Amino acid sequence: MTDNAGEGKRDRAIPGQPDMWVLVLFEALVFTAYFAVYLYHRSADSELFLRSQAQLRPLFGTLDTLLLLTSSLFMLRCAQTARAGAHRTAMTSAYITAFLGVAFLISKITEWIMLVRGGHGFSSNDFFMYYFFLTGIHLLHLLIGFIAIGVIVYQLRGPARRSQELVETCAVYWHTVDLLWVLIFSLLYVVR
Amino acid sequence: MSWRNNSKRELWLAWYSMIAFYNIFVIVFFVLTHAQPPPYPYWSDAQVVFWFSHNRGGLLTGFAIMFALAGLTLPANALIAYSIRRMSVSRAFAYSYLVIYSLAALPGMLLLCVVLSVGAMRPDRDPVLIHWLYDFAFLSYVGTMGIFLIGSLVWMLAILLDKNRVLPKWFGYLNLCNALTEVVVSPAWIFHRGVLDWNGLISWWLNMVVFGIYTSAFIMLLRNMIQREDFGDGPLPTHQLAGTAR
Repeated sequence: MTDNAGEGKRDRAIPGQPDMWVLVLFEALVFTAYFAVYLYHRSADSELFLRSQAQLRPLFGTLDTLLLLTSSLFMLRCAQTARAGAHRTAMTSAYITAFLGVAFLISKITEWIMLVRGGHGFSSNDFFMYYFFLTGIHLLHLLIGFIAIGVIVYQLRGPARRSQELVETCAVYWHTVDLLWVLIFSLLYVVR
Repeated sequence: MSWRNNSKRELWLAWYSMIAFYNIFVIVFFVLTHAQPPPYPYWSDAQVVFWFSHNRGGLLTGFAIMFALAGLTLPANALIAYSIRRMSVSRAFAYSYLVIYSLAALPGMLLLCVVLSVGAMRPDRDPVLIHWLYDFAFLSYVGTMGIFLIGSLVWMLAILLDKNRVLPKWFGYLNLCNALTEVVVSPAWIFHRGVLDWNGLISWWLNMVVFGIYTSAFIMLLRNMIQREDFGDGPLPTHQLAGTAR
């Protein structure tokens, strides 16, 4: 009876530490402000933004989005299997998530190099300033995400220190990084 | 309980010093010297010279106050180091934080005060040199946030590893948000105009909002920590201890 009550209480709880959701909401607000500033300037000089946007390769943006969405899927699988007690499977999912994150990192840096070689650097014009700023600050979040995956693996490796709450906390962070990318992708690559 | 017998009086002294410092900081930087929000980075030599001459009185008065009272940052930093020492983590965190934030006062505040004071006190110098001082002051002030970034990360790590519940975990994560905004100011070195220059909408205004929330949060949390302090070495009591309020 007590166990069921406890489980019921746990089912209602949000995943991970509630404290992590402060970071999620705060970062969401900060990025919303970035996006609002971007859209305001875009509307002020839409011709320049459209012309510059045409220099981006949509293939990179689409590939990056697929990589991160798939990584989020494996992160979800990691949290679910860890909850079910299948820690080895969870660890494999965490490694695949990290691998997809590295693939995203390589793809993004490759795109940056190609753009810079094509004469489109950070200070080329307002669009590329926003492009490098938003993708750069997002990449920094991704790098922190690797630390979060490291924490998950560390938790899962030691039977004595396994904390489902910490695994889910780190998973929430990874999903946030994914969500932010989807919004950045939409604004920089898709919105016309 | 009288102030004389209050075992927490040193902690309260440090906390009130912190309050005093931030109030003086706002008055000096925002009201007297007009160094905050920073003036425009794209001004011509003539405009910069005019800014110095127009603000001369405020610059000299404000920074004279700042030079006299900059030491108030020390008890504030010490109180934060105390919060880390009260945690269940290695003392190395507190020592690292203390050293980093003691050094941070130089690029983060004093260099600007010295350089702008020089500009205000030597109005007869070549406008090109005055403009150089202006650039030096604001780039050193806005653009050297790396040292604060590391300090925030040290505090964050200590809070997240702590088992004594000295400060809430959400504030640990808020440290990460603050640290990330320190990165956002770095493009100020590249841009003279726009949202990422040294008084840009993103690099200064938005960051100032985040910094304001962060600072208000830790001031209130440190107050709460002092109220809960039992001078033990285990977990901090959840509620304020009876008979130890101010």
